[in-house]
Amino acid sequence: MTDILSIGKSGLGASKKSMEVAGHNVANANTEGYSRQRVKQTTGVPITKDGLVMGSGARVHGVERIDAKHIEQRLAGAITSHEYNHERLEQLEQVESIFNETESEGLNKIVNKFFNSFRDLANQPENETMRSVVRDNAKLIVKDFNRIRSTLDELARGVDKRLEREMVNINQISNHLADINKKITNIEALGGESGDLRDQRDVAIRSLAEYFDVSTYTDNKNHFIVNAEGVGTIISATEVQELAVKGQPLETSPNGMSGAVEIYFKNRPSGFISDKFANGKLASLLKVRNVDLRKMQTDIDQVAYTLTKSVNAIHSKGFIYKPGISIEGENAGEYTNVNFFKDLSSSENASTEMSLSDEVQEDLANIVTALAPNAPGDNRIALAISKLENAKLMAEGTSTIEDQYLKSIGHVGVQTGKARVDTEQSEGLLAQTRAIKERITGVSIDEEAANMIKFQHAYEASAKVLKAADDMFQVVLGIKR
Amino acid sequence: MTRVSENSNSASLQFSLEKTKERLEDLQMKGSSLKKVRRPSDNPVSNVEAMSLGSVLADNQQFLRNSDVALLHLNQTEQCLDQISEILLKAKDLAIQQSSDFYDQDIRKNVSNDIIQMRNQLLAISNRRVGNKYIFSGFNTLKIPFDLDGNYTGDDGKIKLEISKDFFIPMNLTGKEVFYSDQLVAPSNIPEPDLETPSGEDSETPARDLASNNDLESRFHKRDNLFSQLTTLISALENNDPKLVQDLLEKFDSSISRIITLRTRVGSLVNTAMTTRSQIETENVDKEAHRSKLTDADVAELFSDITKQQQVLRTTYQSGKTMLNQTLLDFLR
Repeated sequence: MTDILSIGKSGLGASKKSMEVAGHNVANANTEGYSRQRVKQTTGVPITKDGLVMGSGARVHGVERIDAKHIEQRLAGAITSHEYNHERLEQLEQVESIFNETESEGLNKIVNKFFNSFRDLANQPENETMRSVVRDNAKLIVKDFNRIRSTLDELARGVDKRLEREMVNINQISNHLADINKKITNIEALGGESGDLRDQRDVAIRSLAEYFDVSTYTDNKNHFIVNAEGVGTIISATEVQELAVKGQPLETSPNGMSGAVEIYFKNRPSGFISDKFANGKLASLLKVRNVDLRKMQTDIDQVAYTLTKSVNAIHSKGFIYKPGISIEGENAGEYTNVNFFKDLSSSENASTEMSLSDEVQEDLANIVTALAPNAPGDNRIALAISKLENAKLMAEGTSTIEDQYLKSIGHVGVQTGKARVDTEQSEGLLAQTRAIKERITGVSIDEEAANMIKFQHAYEASAKVLKAADDMFQVVLGIKR
Repeated sequence: MTRVSENSNSASLQFSLEKTKERLEDLQMKGSSLKKVRRPSDNPVSNVEAMSLGSVLADNQQFLRNSDVALLHLNQTEQCLDQISEILLKAKDLAIQQSSDFYDQDIRKNVSNDIIQMRNQLLAISNRRVGNKYIFSGFNTLKIPFDLDGNYTGDDGKIKLEISKDFFIPMNLTGKEVFYSDQLVAPSNIPEPDLETPSGEDSETPARDLASNNDLESRFHKRDNLFSQLTTLISALENNDPKLVQDLLEKFDSSISRIITLRTRVGSLVNTAMTTRSQIETENVDKEAHRSKLTDADVAELFSDITKQQQVLRTTYQSGKTMLNQTLLDFLR
């Protein structure tokens, strides 16, 4: 008879526990990274008495967390690729906006205006006003080259700052992970349930996966290891390898700018590991800085350098005309060899250093139009400069200044467009992977509601068993009276 | 059976909502700017092509302005040539009359006064200006080309203007061409600018001859010119020398035919400039249309797209409403 009571009691206990877990599931339906749990329930160990096998009710021997390890790994990978593409898109969109001329006045229009102002000057070389228009347009060119280059430089420096900040984040996540590892080991040593902590660990790994490819495994000493793919071990159980960045001087700089940072392990300051990151935010930032921004910087420098050199080469051959001064053989030299732009020694940083020559800056008359002395109406220098617009001066004589500049813009456009498509794709993939994982581990209120009804009924029934046992006891006890 | 959890449910709804809204936003931006290429990455090829088309169009505007300037000068020159030939014809008529022995010394004196007037007129024409530039002084446009004795002080610079890409026409005749010489054009000794220059610093400096102007002047003095023809006529009349007047007739004839040739040349330049203008204008229309095709949004297509996306969004909301707001619990009361 006591068996009935204990069977009923085990049923009540099991139903209560199941109800608790269902409640926990519903409560955490919206908790990030939560995996649903369920009660592991079996029949009690049967007892053999008098040759009969008798059941001993239900037994709860744990709460199980539904996990999906293989999906988890795939999800981390999807996050890494998506973050790579997304970060790249965000950075490139900023680069692209520097060169967006669809609505505003961009360098291309300004350079075109500059050449056309030389044509205007060729129409009226005697006219001072035309010279000032030429000079104003030239100033705009200089300003725009400066603007483009300094914005590119700012973006590159922004990447450096970002990397610095991200290192702090990464180290924080790593330490958090090590902490969780410790707690899990402690709880499991005591035989406790670690499901919720494992959820937290998965969340932390997913945040780490935003930065680089992450792989995890548990080694034979039951240590949980987190690897940065291609780079090295970041976390081994409770040990953390912190990352750090260091600004580089110009000579060893990865992108030709002083202060550009390289990543290294804090305990191994000499070995730079920047190149080893192949995916995720870090690789994306590094690639934009070292490849895309670098290319635009050198491209724009080349354009500025070619423009300066070619305009000067023609301009310096002309003769200045000053009213009332007749140039004779010996003093002719004073009136020629004037540069339009300040001379540049190399294309390195040409777009930053570009400026008007002092002569042109000081006196409009120093803008030369004539190829012959004493000829105010001679427009041949002005014409020759305007013809530079269509001269194939760049890329070994295969493209004009405009072609080359547009090629660079086209390149940015293609790269950005590609990054956008990639981002859309990886976003879709990520959402899909997330959905698969959620389907397996997520909480369904409907399911829980149905379970709750089930458990409630089971609880009621188990109570009925106790009640029946009680009645039976009453009967037995009543016999004596 | 695929399990559906609360989060997968809301995540998928969110994903489709965001996608639709993103597309709608993009369409709306296109609608408000009426451009389908708003940034290089929207269509790198079209963007770059539109930009270079923009440069071509701006250049063409410039070429139109250039041909305005050229036409202004050429028309002035043509008028001058017209007046010169009238003066010469009149002078020739007078010379024909006076080449016979019919007229006496007094009448010849009077006629010579007329010729002096004509010579002054010719001098005034030779010093004609457009704005502040003398049209017959070559490159030396700020200096009066002919002094009172009819000596040329300009140079033989030909001012060329680009009236279409890589197409240059001269917009002036030099005083030397018009008023001097029996040969039409003296070889230009001022070099053309070196257009293939710049790539390096080492390209050659074109040869310059600073003394060239002086040289030219001395050569002109020896040559026959319109002013000296009139001067000779004047002195012949004053000296009552019909024989000399008769000798001059032939020279007048050749001068007149030279001026007429020059007029034809200027006329054909004017024609060329006009033809080029209208070519550029038609070209501009085509180019503008092409550019519009490259970057402007097709309004009809755009708005039908917007309507479609709005419909999609509405449907998504509708389905979300039934999915999110209901659970089994609603039916258990």
